[in-house]
Amino acid sequence: MGFRTRQIHAGVTPDPITGSILTPIYQSTTYVQPSVDEYLSKGFTYSRSGNPTVKALENKIADLEGGVDCACFGTGMSAVLATMLAFLEAGAHAIVSDVAYGGTYRLSTKILSRFGIDYTFADTADPDAVAAAVRDNTKLIFTETPANPTMKCSDIAAISEIATKAGAVHVVDNTFLTPYYQLPLDLGADISLHSTTKYMDGHNATVGGAVVSKTDEHAEAVRFIQNSTGTIMSPQVAWLTLQGCKTLSVRMDYQSASAMAIAEFLEAHPKVEQVAYPGLESFAQHELSKRQASGFGAMLWFEVTGGVAAGKKLMDNIKVWSLAENLGSVESLITHPVTMTHADVEPAERARVGIIDGLVRASVGLEDTEDLIDALAAALDQV
Amino acid sequence: MSRFLNFDTLSLHAGQTVDPVFGARATPIYQTTSYVFPDTDTASSIFNLERGGHAYSRITNPTVGVLEQRIAALEGGSAAVCTASGMAATFCAITAILGQGDHIVASTQMYGGNISLMKNTLPRFGITATFVDPTDTGGFRDAIQDNTRLIYGELIGNPGLDILDLEAIAKIGGDHHVPFMVDATFNTPYLCRCFDYGANVTVHSVTKWMGGHGAAIGGAVVDGGNFDWGATDKYPTITEPYAPFSGINLWEEFGPSAFATRIRAEAMRDIGPSMSPMNAFLLLQGIETLSLRMDKHLSNTAELLDYLTGHEQVSWVSHPSLPSHSSHKLAQKYLPKGAGSIVSFGVKGGREAGKTFIENVELASHLANVGDAKTLIIHPATTTHSRIDADALVAAGITEDMIRLSVGLEDVADIKADFETGFRAAKRVAKG
Amino acid sequence: MYFAVNGKQVFATTGGKPFDNSKPTVIFLHGSGLDHTFWGLHARFFAFRNYSVLVPDLPGHTNSEGPPLTTIEAIADWLNDVVKTLDINNISLVAHSQGCLDALEFASRFPERLKSVSFIASGLATPVNEALISAAENDPEAAIAMMLGWGFGPAGQLHQGPIPGNSMVAGGRKVMRGNVPAELAADLRACDAYKNGKQAAAAIQAPAQVILAGKDRMAPRKAGLELVAHLPDPEVTIIEESGHMVPQEAPDRCRQLLRDFIFKNNPTR
Repeated sequence: MGFRTRQIHAGVTPDPITGSILTPIYQSTTYVQPSVDEYLSKGFTYSRSGNPTVKALENKIADLEGGVDCACFGTGMSAVLATMLAFLEAGAHAIVSDVAYGGTYRLSTKILSRFGIDYTFADTADPDAVAAAVRDNTKLIFTETPANPTMKCSDIAAISEIATKAGAVHVVDNTFLTPYYQLPLDLGADISLHSTTKYMDGHNATVGGAVVSKTDEHAEAVRFIQNSTGTIMSPQVAWLTLQGCKTLSVRMDYQSASAMAIAEFLEAHPKVEQVAYPGLESFAQHELSKRQASGFGAMLWFEVTGGVAAGKKLMDNIKVWSLAENLGSVESLITHPVTMTHADVEPAERARVGIIDGLVRASVGLEDTEDLIDALAAALDQV
Repeated sequence: MSRFLNFDTLSLHAGQTVDPVFGARATPIYQTTSYVFPDTDTASSIFNLERGGHAYSRITNPTVGVLEQRIAALEGGSAAVCTASGMAATFCAITAILGQGDHIVASTQMYGGNISLMKNTLPRFGITATFVDPTDTGGFRDAIQDNTRLIYGELIGNPGLDILDLEAIAKIGGDHHVPFMVDATFNTPYLCRCFDYGANVTVHSVTKWMGGHGAAIGGAVVDGGNFDWGATDKYPTITEPYAPFSGINLWEEFGPSAFATRIRAEAMRDIGPSMSPMNAFLLLQGIETLSLRMDKHLSNTAELLDYLTGHEQVSWVSHPSLPSHSSHKLAQKYLPKGAGSIVSFGVKGGREAGKTFIENVELASHLANVGDAKTLIIHPATTTHSRIDADALVAAGITEDMIRLSVGLEDVADIKADFETGFRAAKRVAKG
Repeated sequence: MYFAVNGKQVFATTGGKPFDNSKPTVIFLHGSGLDHTFWGLHARFFAFRNYSVLVPDLPGHTNSEGPPLTTIEAIADWLNDVVKTLDINNISLVAHSQGCLDALEFASRFPERLKSVSFIASGLATPVNEALISAAENDPEAAIAMMLGWGFGPAGQLHQGPIPGNSMVAGGRKVMRGNVPAELAADLRACDAYKNGKQAAAAIQAPAQVILAGKDRMAPRKAGLELVAHLPDPEVTIIEESGHMVPQEAPDRCRQLLRDFIFKNNPTR
């Protein structure tokens, strides 16, 4: 069945007792067993190890990504943590995209490095750089494509091939494009990972994460971490995310079309130095984006002429767009990483990963495209 | 088992069997609008009231159903219907049996919303009310007219905390074939099960002590199942065929739960003041600790009564557990565990002193709700009743120095310390 | 509806449709101390599927004029008088608990118009402990607690019911309070005295169905199986999770079994 049908029906069956068309919210810690002999016969014992509402979401995301199993987590970061704990150990080595989300960078360098895990931050936009970074003990390659906030893309198929050769697990953070536009597992990756906080929920209502595995062996390793570290998703979050998933394609289509129009508007604007959006022909990896994804998503960034001061001025004057972290929601959000999310990062490090002073990150929402463009035009006038 | 389960057990278990699908111990939250039918025969038989089951969450919902059966069990009623608020419960209960030309005899000492419903709203639809002093039981009898179809009161009245003489009023109702409906919000079934004394219907704002945490708004109507609707032709909505369900005769089909079924079949379907499943879940959590909370509400109330009674800045204290209260004897009879956790008292120094007291307490929250786990306090003369002149205040039983207190579950020493701050400030104003 | 039998007013519900003796008719018989409301939804189900339905209150119970009848045989005679008074043909009899003894006696003695008989939660006899009879006479609330305490299975004890929001056990208590002490005591004595079950069962010619409950403490499985053993070739189902009050505790399964059996043996045109 098609994606639009599956985003609504996959993983969900009417409640067998009442017929309830939606999966009930099983806000319950524990499950009564029919007898000692029938322990686990109904599938659940304790909500850290599994919960029927969370399971429905897991089944849906696994289906959408084309994986054998999905494990949901309390946040996108705990999903990242789970993959690293599942496939790395002391003495092991991992290659992580040098433009991966700052949280992934922090988790690797500040926490897991303390437990004897070695990291190389490589430019995953260049498969040769990844191949060069492989060592005998490389167990994991972690890419994020497109990456946040630089929009840099990685060639999933090429890197998967390198990973397979190296005997490493290739984890792709698929948050920006979602399975509606990009299917990492089909392209050869082993794991597709999400912050469900973003497009899957889509309404700024929850924080959550998901890890989808292609093989039972990987799934089991992730499930083991999910249960033993207890970084689980709550049933309420799962229920809200289940509702969000149903409109994923509709939102993605509209938000991406708006993003394209906005990118074109910005590219033509005299006060804008440059725009990064995979849908633009000017985008360095436009061809790769077209090849490995069926859409370009709704994230972009642009550089305002005039550096930090201009970026700040734009932020202070913009209407309709909300000045807020998070992305992927129906509300359009705009951030100025240098003064907001990345203010505490050394300028040299910012420059190295491509977060230039005038960079403004835009998460295009579901408002009328015209209103979003008008608001940007008005704010740019003030700059 | 040759007996029925007891109150505390029912407050934890009634209405819920362990989820048969997964065994979930907590009640699942059926946050759904509708229900898939296995076949058309099942669908049509549910719609035609030939079998139980869920069709649409405006009318029934499995999570709300657990709460309804739990409340029915605690009250000892044959059925309950939960509603979006306590006022919706009262409205649905009244309009299930009364129509144009009908009449209510009601207590004067009631929550303002109840008074307004009967004084302003229902008369627009031809339902009138006579209000009588709840302490004069004979007044209920005298006010009954040929078209009287309901006697209504709050067991613990507002704001004077007068107690209804349930048995005496129920007898008056019985003598005239008029049902007796009691707003049992302030007592909850833990303090008094009104059906045991002859009341026929109870209504609740479960927002208050039943839920107990100030988290969800909700109401309930409980059918006592003990009124003989068929004894006269005064209640055609119960005893005559009801066209929307193929002319069903609710009294014949449902007997002791005919009244509740009328609310379900009519009000929930045509008016739709339904409780949300999430609220039902939160309220179920609250009811699990009803008796524990009520015991603590009562012991804190007793301590504060001692404290207030002996306080030099307090001009008077009113609570039915005090021998000085006119309803003391009735409280001992109907509310032996305790007469609730609402207390009124006067601050020496009148209106300004009362206002100053409120403005200087910090722990007690200044707001108009009652029955929260937290201590709540209000000065009626400057808030809920501020637009009423002095004479009308007196008529409503409200004095200018009056503070209404809803005693919470905090450590009582902290409540007293908080009040001390208020009294010190009030004393300065009183002298000033 | 009300009608007179032997000069006494009898009340019966007809499931929400006018009674029509030209149609196949389902007659429901309630148990000790209860009344027509016990069968509410089941009666309605058949009435809306082209059956005529009759759910009488036994004499003295709730709306029917007393005094209560004191033997099972007398109740069977009375039922035959009801049938003759209303000139009912093509009868499917559906009985619960004490009603099953009434049905055994009626079915064995008045087979002419009977198309099928369904026994729910009963054996061949219902010996009643003297303490219960004495409680019925002297302490009705205790007797009601005993009967409903034993009668309802676990879900019933937790105030559940087939209609969302309704408590079966509290509803049953209200009905029984209207039928004590005289009616309940008479019913229990009639049950205890009835000894003709074996012979009656063996004499039944109409197709019979037995529905038993796995958690029945009033008519335990062993007693129910004795009834099964003495009926000629009955259809038997045991609903494991239900207590004695099968039509209320397992309404969907019970309705399905009754429907299949009655549709087959007493079809409508």
